[in-house]
Amino acid sequence: MRFKPSHWLAVLLVTASCAAQAGPMGFKDSWMAMGDFGPNWREAWVNYAVTPRDAVGVGALYMRSDDKTRRRDVAELTYTRLLQRWNSKDSQANVWFLAGAGSVEGNDFSGARTLLSPGIQLDYETTRFYVAATARLYRASGLNHDYGSVRAGFSFYEVDYEETQPWLIVEARRMNDLSDKTEITPMLRLINKGYFVEAGINNSRQFRFNFMHIF
Amino acid sequence: MNKSFIQSSSLVFSVAVFLVLGISGVAQAAVQTIRAEVNGMVCAFCAQGIEKKMRSLTQTREVYVDLRHKVVAVELKEGQVLSTDTVRDLIKDAGYDVTRIEIVPETAQQIRAAVRGRK
Repeated sequence: MRFKPSHWLAVLLVTASCAAQAGPMGFKDSWMAMGDFGPNWREAWVNYAVTPRDAVGVGALYMRSDDKTRRRDVAELTYTRLLQRWNSKDSQANVWFLAGAGSVEGNDFSGARTLLSPGIQLDYETTRFYVAATARLYRASGLNHDYGSVRAGFSFYEVDYEETQPWLIVEARRMNDLSDKTEITPMLRLINKGYFVEAGINNSRQFRFNFMHIF
Repeated sequence: MNKSFIQSSSLVFSVAVFLVLGISGVAQAAVQTIRAEVNGMVCAFCAQGIEKKMRSLTQTREVYVDLRHKVVAVELKEGQVLSTDTVRDLIKDAGYDVTRIEIVPETAQQIRAAVRGRK
């Protein structure tokens, strides 16, 4: 791990506080922590839902090139806004606005640069099916690490509210400049009320682990 | 003497049965649960917000959430009052839409049994 102290602070906040089917924020007055860990992409953040539609938080992100020669360390303040939600009897669809502002450091340039990371996420889900698409810009002076991902999956069966539900999710994502590959990762997802974990192995045979928790 | 004793005992037993049934009838009538049907409730990770909000109310005795039938039931403590508008607003704050809401004289457990019986 090449996290900066500020990154560790974010991770510490996450772990200290608690020991996307889901949206990138919880319900009003809740805290949400999220982590996404793999060799070339490690991300952790925590946010607080100040209204039913707005959340603010802090996050840390580590990016590394496929050849392992270049890396980026990002620390940012985040803002999440639920732009639109459609609730129907058996489904829910959302449009999210995501934004970050902070600094980025790298091993191939000196000092820290101001980074902005606006993005959008669309998702649709039922109790058995899930699909989402995310596009996010990661821009700083002389840097463009724009990011895009699509996810789709299904649950093996329906469960009652208090039971654990297993899902199979496949994610494809790209990270501009640092990687020429499309990373594809099939993951097993388990959801039990406030706990959400995913684990899988990508097409580069790298292990990935994600989690989310609302508290 | 024996006949009189038996008649007296029968009378006492009848009165006791009447009182027990009557009291339990009153208790039964005192049960109040707000039952809501909720659109968009498809995921336990998200719907837990509803449960937490409802459990945080001092009037709440029990909460039941059913993802399959999109039902939320909030059973109230005896003698407590909670408006359906409050429950509707909390569900809305959690990100969902209430399509129907009513107060029913059943416990959350009874609603759970009835809903699961519809599977």
